[in-house]
Amino acid sequence: MSRPKAHISSRPLQLTLIFCAFLAVRTSFSQRSEALIPKDASTVFSINNFSLLQKISIDDLVKYEFMEEVQQELFDGSTSGKTLKDSGIDFDQKLNVFYGKDDDFEVSGFTFGVKDKQKLFSVFDDFALVESPYEGVEYYTSYFNSLLIQGTSALLIRVEPSMESVDAVTDSIWFSRGNRNPFEQFDTYEEPENESEDEFLNELQNEVDAEESDPLDLEMLTGEDDLEQKNYYELRDSVQMELQASLMERVCNELLIRKINLVTFDNRFAEQLTHNSEAIFYLDNARSLQNAQGLWYFETMFPSLYQDIKELYSGNVMLGDLMLHENSVEFVMNARYGPELGSIYEEMNDARFDKQVLKYINKNNTAYFTYNIDMRQAYEQAYKVIMPILSDERNLRISTNVLTLELLNEFVDKDALFNTYKGSMFGTFGGIKKIKTTKIVFSYDEETFEYVEKEVDAEEDMPVFTIGFTTERSDIPEKVLKHLSRMTSRFQNKGNYWVYEDAILEAAPLYMINRNGLFIFTNDEDLVVNHADGYGEEALKGKEAKKCKKSGFMYGKIDWSTTIEKFPKDFFSEKQNQVLDAMRGKTGNMELTTSETTKEGTRFDLVYYFEGSYENSGKYLLDLLNSIYVMSK
Amino acid sequence: MNRFVFTLFLGLFMAITSCVEIIDDITLKNDGSGTFKYTINLSSSKVKIKGILALDSLDGKKVPKLEDIKEKIALFKTKLSSKQGISNVNIDSDYEEFVFKFRCDFSSVTVLQSAIKEVVEDMANEKLTVADYQEWLSWDGQKLVRSIPEITLEKTKNLKQEEIDQLKLGSYTSISRFERLVDRFENTEAKLSSNKLNVMVKTGAYSLIQNPNLLENTIYLTPLKN
Repeated sequence: MSRPKAHISSRPLQLTLIFCAFLAVRTSFSQRSEALIPKDASTVFSINNFSLLQKISIDDLVKYEFMEEVQQELFDGSTSGKTLKDSGIDFDQKLNVFYGKDDDFEVSGFTFGVKDKQKLFSVFDDFALVESPYEGVEYYTSYFNSLLIQGTSALLIRVEPSMESVDAVTDSIWFSRGNRNPFEQFDTYEEPENESEDEFLNELQNEVDAEESDPLDLEMLTGEDDLEQKNYYELRDSVQMELQASLMERVCNELLIRKINLVTFDNRFAEQLTHNSEAIFYLDNARSLQNAQGLWYFETMFPSLYQDIKELYSGNVMLGDLMLHENSVEFVMNARYGPELGSIYEEMNDARFDKQVLKYINKNNTAYFTYNIDMRQAYEQAYKVIMPILSDERNLRISTNVLTLELLNEFVDKDALFNTYKGSMFGTFGGIKKIKTTKIVFSYDEETFEYVEKEVDAEEDMPVFTIGFTTERSDIPEKVLKHLSRMTSRFQNKGNYWVYEDAILEAAPLYMINRNGLFIFTNDEDLVVNHADGYGEEALKGKEAKKCKKSGFMYGKIDWSTTIEKFPKDFFSEKQNQVLDAMRGKTGNMELTTSETTKEGTRFDLVYYFEGSYENSGKYLLDLLNSIYVMSK
Repeated sequence: MNRFVFTLFLGLFMAITSCVEIIDDITLKNDGSGTFKYTINLSSSKVKIKGILALDSLDGKKVPKLEDIKEKIALFKTKLSSKQGISNVNIDSDYEEFVFKFRCDFSSVTVLQSAIKEVVEDMANEKLTVADYQEWLSWDGQKLVRSIPEITLEKTKNLKQEEIDQLKLGSYTSISRFERLVDRFENTEAKLSSNKLNVMVKTGAYSLIQNPNLLENTIYLTPLKN
């Protein structure tokens, strides 16, 4: 009785297994766009739900900063009136935008699926087919970029050698030919001292006249005797072209012959690609460290120390997921650390939440954040991790600094220092308030229309900020404040608070509260006069307060519509303003929570709850992705 | 003059257009010589200006340093003083309240206009086109014709809507003073002082953008008694 039953039930099972096997085989062997991402990419974002973008016009798309590399290709009228749907792109594959930079070169571009080549080349109409050195790969080039199509996936790529490497190779060839320094004649300029404008202009004219009669020393810029030989700049251009071609070949060989790509190179990226979110984000901080301009000095002067810093950063990667929900957009970012840096972060973020800060956050504040760290623990751990690295350095300056640090560590009263500044803090934005000021007005005499000026009371708008720090040693800042009040009458003790008159832009007072284990700076007169011990019933309470306490080392909330529009743009850098501009006009709340920090990492969860529904979710997605790209680049 | 003002304070003006008060005051004697006074009152926005001056750039435009502004004002004064027919040049700058008062005497309105044009060209290092700088004053001994230089309005075309909206708080006052009685004038918004020697037109900066002809006026004087 049981055999026939088993026989009957095994048929669908077999069919299911065959079907699954077929899918598995198809998935394994079909070329997907992500397999064309070079391993040199250190920043990638992949749009999984690419179909969201079907309605986006290509002209709008290429205006985003992350598309800047292909702007020259597309801003030539070929995209006018077309949407991505008309571009022959396969929306069942991911769109992956990537960027990477190391000492030698910079690589950028994107990979995507191809459904209709004819339509694709109506958009990329500047590309010409060239002979492909790779079997099964169609190779197209334009003036700026290369387009490679393998099966149903495409890679649009640009590789640029670094200026440093181009200079190094050019100089090497130039000098090996026995040429003189091409910039020799420019090195003799001396800054004129106390020269009047007229004298300077006369001198300039004399120089121009002299140059006209004695033209530029061409031998400097060309090979000394042979005017047929390339001059320095021509040589440099040739070197740049050669390096570009050779680097392009290196990247493509690795991708198409050796089959090494970012997915095979970094399993954290491969794992991130399996997520079902609308988009994923990958930023390898360790490799991006090389982009940090501030470290070039270390790299040049202390190469071994630079290597050590790089190693400290190894394993440091940011992995993000962007999810579109019905009434919210969620951006989850996992910061993964290497063991050493992780140990510092773990100690730093292992701080107890200071409940006192909640008293000073008004429930009506349009934006606020809390930040809990333990500077003492972070210092001790950083000392343990970083000092051995520094101590190994055989350099007089570094050794002197190491000795100074060791002595300070012994002599400084760390209890006093870290109890004064524990590291935890909070901040609020209370919107725009009127502050009292004066202005000049002119009053006219009706008989003669003569006018006289007089000073009258006035009001001006001022953003209201509060920022406070946790302290266990209120006596120490008090000593400083008392000293300052003896130095200037603008510094006054008002009992519950201190005031520094005209501190802000020489027009508005800055207040300080040194009570309840907090040292607070604010320009909110109402807070210091009426709520020096906190807002009482108006303070943040209940669910909202609980969220601050429960979040890891950081919590933040912004009422987007009221804050962003009012927030002064001047406070932010150009990059930050680009991000804010993308978010302007949108309403709702944004909330940032963090997990507990471990040696391995911290999870940041940024959720934007909006009101109503977004009209164009694709545009929303691109705005957000572009913001992330701008910030990370 | 306005070209100079806009060149000098370009960065600031774009940001604090809100509360600027301008008084454009000319005294004309019967022989055609006179005194020109130009007052810019930014005191209503002084906190904002100080905030802006503390920045390196604003909206992608470089913010001039206070020292640069002082230097340019001093240079303008020196260059204008050297022009023939121009005398007693004085610029009173109050950097606490941000009130700037310019004053000079001139031998004729033609001399005044060409002197300002030359200095502005010199300082801006560019030739002004006719559109940039048409004559805004003309005097034939009997009537004075006044308008606003095109450049003032050209600059306002670059303002954003929010900045234009803020201009509603700003004002522009044009005063013309004479040695003999005013007979009549064409601008219906203009007022005659009780002693009948002075004509004033006051308008909002916003209204002026909407209608650039608001300050245009032709003032006819009573005939000279021999």
